[in-house]
This record gives sequence, structure tokens and C-alpha cells, in this order.
Amino acid sequence: MIERLPSGNERLDEILNGGLLQNAINLIVGVPGSGKTILSQQFAFHNATVEKPALYLSTLSEPLDKILRFGETLKVFDHNAVEDGRVIYEDLGRVLGGEGLEHILGAIEGYLKELRPGIVVIDSFRAFAAVSHDTPEFRKFLYSLTRLLAASATTAVWNAPYTREQAMEAAEFAVADSIIALDIKLVGAREMRVLQVLKLRGSSYRSGEHAYRITESGFDVFPRLADVQDRSPYELSEKRSSTGIDALDKVLGEGGYWSGAATMVAGPSGIGKTLMGLHFLFRGASSGEPGVLATFQENETQLTRVAESFGWTFSGSGVHVLSRSVVDIYIDEWVYQLLDLIEQTGAKRIVIDSLPDVMIAAAEPVRFREWMFSLTQRLERAGISMMMIVEVPELFQLRRISEQGLSHLADNVVLLQFVQEGPELVRALTVLKTRAMHHHPVVHRYDITEKGFVLGDVLSLTR
Amino acid sequence: MSSQEDQAVYSIGAVARMLDIPPSTLRAWEERYSVITPVRSEGSQRLYSRAQVEQLRFIKSRLESGASAADAHRLLSQEIAGERVAAAEEASGDARPLILLAERDSYAAGLAEYFLRTEGYEVAIAADAHQARLYFDERPPDVVVLDLMISGGAGFTLCADLVAKGNAQVLAVSAIDSAAEAMRLGAAAFLRKPLEPLTLASTVRDLLGTSALSRHARRTTASC
Repeated sequence: MIERLPSGNERLDEILNGGLLQNAINLIVGVPGSGKTILSQQFAFHNATVEKPALYLSTLSEPLDKILRFGETLKVFDHNAVEDGRVIYEDLGRVLGGEGLEHILGAIEGYLKELRPGIVVIDSFRAFAAVSHDTPEFRKFLYSLTRLLAASATTAVWNAPYTREQAMEAAEFAVADSIIALDIKLVGAREMRVLQVLKLRGSSYRSGEHAYRITESGFDVFPRLADVQDRSPYELSEKRSSTGIDALDKVLGEGGYWSGAATMVAGPSGIGKTLMGLHFLFRGASSGEPGVLATFQENETQLTRVAESFGWTFSGSGVHVLSRSVVDIYIDEWVYQLLDLIEQTGAKRIVIDSLPDVMIAAAEPVRFREWMFSLTQRLERAGISMMMIVEVPELFQLRRISEQGLSHLADNVVLLQFVQEGPELVRALTVLKTRAMHHHPVVHRYDITEKGFVLGDVLSLTR
Repeated sequence: MSSQEDQAVYSIGAVARMLDIPPSTLRAWEERYSVITPVRSEGSQRLYSRAQVEQLRFIKSRLESGASAADAHRLLSQEIAGERVAAAEEASGDARPLILLAERDSYAAGLAEYFLRTEGYEVAIAADAHQARLYFDERPPDVVVLDLMISGGAGFTLCADLVAKGNAQVLAVSAIDSAAEAMRLGAAAFLRKPLEPLTLASTVRDLLGTSALSRHARRTTASC
């Protein structure tokens, strides 16, 4: 296997199966403003050493001073590295503009000999194609440069403002050993930055589009959560996780859901779905199982008031809140925040409130399903119980749960709905599905009191 | 080869390592004081002479004594004017180790030649196996850097043949992992291509058992 150089971003390295190819040509293509220069500088600063410096060559796209001025605003830009010669910026534009393509090879060879760089960034490479007189001249230059770089122990990073489609047609595509495409695409009315690996010679990589953001810390990528089905055996928990509602535990038998199970709670607005989630989380926390409430519905202040009205306190309880608006959200960015929080807190119970919010953020049904499948599988195999809250539009006589056909992923499905009992409108709970448990799908009345859910009698519904 | 080619020249990287002075500092001194100004190659890389290495050593010793860089350079200028700084030993007549570089790729050969020359070695390049045999017989080198894939893979046979002659150590190189095969054929060492300048230089130095620099140092000590 070809050795790798880390990109400076662990998640990008995951996508690249270890990092950029060492002593090879790595091409970064993308529309202007997609972050090619930032990614290249991040890579250069991350890997440069005194013995093997990084050489950053600007061409005719942007003046070197401008690259430096904007580069300096990034946290990855290390003044010491520039001062002690670990990262060396040079302007090839002078040679290119004054003497043309034929002198570029000599200049680069000179740098390779004198500076002995471990990394050579050329920003932008497309300038070479632009100044060549014809295609044969450019191809000849490309071949010679490729030979020169192949002869030196140097990892090359070429930037080029190509779209993904243009990159496929470009001559550089054939000689590059790896190609990373950066793009900005419209999802509804908002823009989303996506990264895709188009080529990685001699290695697998994580396919498809991966969301990324550019912050002052540099380039941050969120690998698309799309795990293949893991058929390897794993240990199923023999434990039960209390629902937090004693009467419901009895209905389910043996004291609640199986630990590690995924439970879907569906019902209309105001029926008490979030409350059911809080019961589940606070009961878990009180028995030594920390939990996370991942919500798009309410912020922490609002939730604190709701919880306190039922006698619960978040602070120091072991129940953590991950609150996020659906505005400008990337589901893969969010899921890594969730997974990181699970790892930090040792959470064993997760409530997602609500699933339709994630569906909206995902934008595409297929993407949402593979994302949901992957998350469910990860949590299940880690023995983490998950509750997914789904809001349904109908207040009465629910006909279907519009959750994109995901109820098959849930081990348990609990339906909450309003039913009419004489002149009275009452809340009703039905356990529609339980995996590996026996239950009677009867309809229970329940009330919401200051103690939360109070499960009542079986309702006799007649139409 | 011309006498000019025979003179040792050192790259800024090699000088930096020899004297433990960062390349950026060497460049800054050159720009600021214009006292030690290495010649430039066609590719614009700096080529330090042996004398200039000694002059830099003088600067370093003054800095270590507490002088400022400006004062150290002023002192050096006075010393040069008074011809009190010893020039480097003349390379002519100095039996520098000869490295035969059997490499089919002109770029790879050019880079390796430069890196070896700037370490003080004499280098001869053979572009194919036949030429390598001729050069070897004509003037036996101290070390042969041999690309095993030269002339369509003839490097393997060539490696065994040159080892059998017993005059030189063979450093086998290849883009594919042929270390075991190279050792079986008697090569003294193997390196995977592309060759890292430092690794190439240190491996050659190891095979020679000494470097041009340390040989020079020994001679200097012996003459004191």
C-alpha cells in the first residue's frame, strides 16, 4: 500500500483511507471559493518539517501576497513555520508570466534540488494549461513534470478550479494519483459544501458526497454516515431498559424495552411524546445510564422549564441536551456532534426529537434512510437504546405513521393518540410492535399529571 | 569531467545540516550582509564552496562567543581582506569517493547526482546497463547506486555481476520492493524509489564508512 500523509483533518483521512498519497500527485479540484487553497495550506502546515519543508507555489490565479494575507487568518497558518523555513511560499507566476511554460520545469527542478521539499503545492495548476500554446505542448509539459515529481521524494498537491465534470475531461485527471473534488450545491434554497473523492489509486475510499465546512480552524469534513450492513455477530443485551413509566414497563413485561433497542414513539402535537422521552432518559440516568436528548424542537431553556414542571433537573442528572436548530444544518455534521457527545458522556440512552426534523435536514429520502439505518446499527451494536420521536398530523384515527418507511428499523413502536370517550377527549397509548417480546396491542388511556405519564385502564374503543 | 565539476559544492540544505544553521538564516545573512554569497546554478539553487562553508563556520563560532550576526560578518570581512580565513582544501587532487549512478530516468539521475555532488562526492551517470559496465570497468567506483529496473530489468543481473567483481559496494534501488532479491544478489543495501535526499546521502555515507566531510575533517586534524 502507498504510504499516506495525514491531511490535517482526521475525518478527511477517514474518507481517504489514511490521508493523501505520499510521493504522489494529489489533485484538488473545485469551483472558485470551494476551499482548495485552504485545504492545501492546511495540508502543507500539518506535514512540513525542517528536514522536509512544504513548498507552496502560486501561479497566475492569485497573487502570492493575497494567498498569504487570507491564509494568515486561518488557525493552521503558523508564522513560526514560515519564519524557520518549514513552509516556503514562492511565486511561480513571475516565471510563468515572463518566460512561459518551458522555464517552469527548470524552476521547479531548481526548487526540488535546493529546498528538497517533502510537499510541493501548485496553486493553481490550471494556469499552466491556460498559458500553453496548444494541447500537445501542455501534455508534453504535464508528462515531464510528472516524471520530475515521480523522481523526487515529494508529495505534490495541485489545485485547479475545475468542476467535477471538467476534471474528468482534463489531462491532469489521467496523471493524478488521487483526485478530491470540492463543490457547492444547492439543497432547496441553501448552499451545501460537499467533498467527493473521484480517484484514489490503489486504495479504497469512502464514496459519495461528504459535507464539509470552512471555519477559521480550517477545513472540517463530516464523512457521510453510510455504513454497510454489519453481519458480524455481536452480543445482545440481556438487560431491560425501563421506559420510566412503571405501568408501561408492566405492559411490556419484564420491566421495559430490551437494552440497545430502537423505539419509535409516534403521535400528534401536544400528546406528550417529548415527555415520554424525558421519562425514558431520567429513569435511565437515575439507574446509572447517562442519556442524551438530541432535539431540534426546543432549546435548553425551554426544556429546563418543561423538565422542572415534572420535577426533573438536567444539571448534574446525567441527562445531556444536544439542541440544534434545523436552519443550515448538515445531518452528518450533527450526527458527529451526537456521536462525540455519546462518547464523552458514556450515554446509554438517546432520544431524537424529532425524526421529521432530520428528514427535512437530509433533504433526500434515500439519503435519510441510509443515514438512519447506519445510526440505528451503530447504536444497536454499541448497546445504546434509542428513542425516535415522530410527529404525525392526524389527531384522531391515525391511518399511517409518515416516517419514510422507517418503522421496520424500530424494534418497538408506541403510538400515542387522542381518542374520544363519550364527550371527553382522552389520551391513549398503544404498543403497536415489540421485537422479541410478547404483548397485547391494547389501547391504554393515560393522563399527564405533575408526575408525568400516568397509565390508566384499557380503553374499549367502539366505532 | 572538468576541474570545475570536480570541485565540491554544497547545497544550502547540506550546509544547514553540517553547521546546524537553518536555511532561512543562511538566506537572511546572504541578503542582509552580502559577505558569503554562493554562486547560483542554472536552476537558481545556491551552491556553497568549501571555503564558504569554512567562512560560515567562522561566523557560527563568533556568534557562539556572544557576537551579533552583524559584528560576526564585519569580522569575517576583515579576515577575508587580511586573507586570514583558511580557504578550503583544494578539491583537485583530493580523492573524493566516486559514485556510479546507473539510472535510466534522466530526472531521477539528475536529482540524485545533484544530491550526491552537494554531499561532496564525484558522480558518474550511466543511462543503461551496458554503459554502467563500461564505466565500472574503466574506473571502478566506490559505490554503485543501481536501479534494478534499468534496461528492462537487466539491473538484477548487473547487480550480481558488479558484486562479483568485488571492487565496489552496490546500493540497489527500485520503485518496487525488491529488497530481498537485491540482498540475495549481493547488494549491500536497498532503497525504495523515489529516493529521499537525506536517506540517499546517509546510505551512501554508511556504505563508504565515512563521508567526504569527515574525511576532510580527518585530513585537517592530521595536518595540525
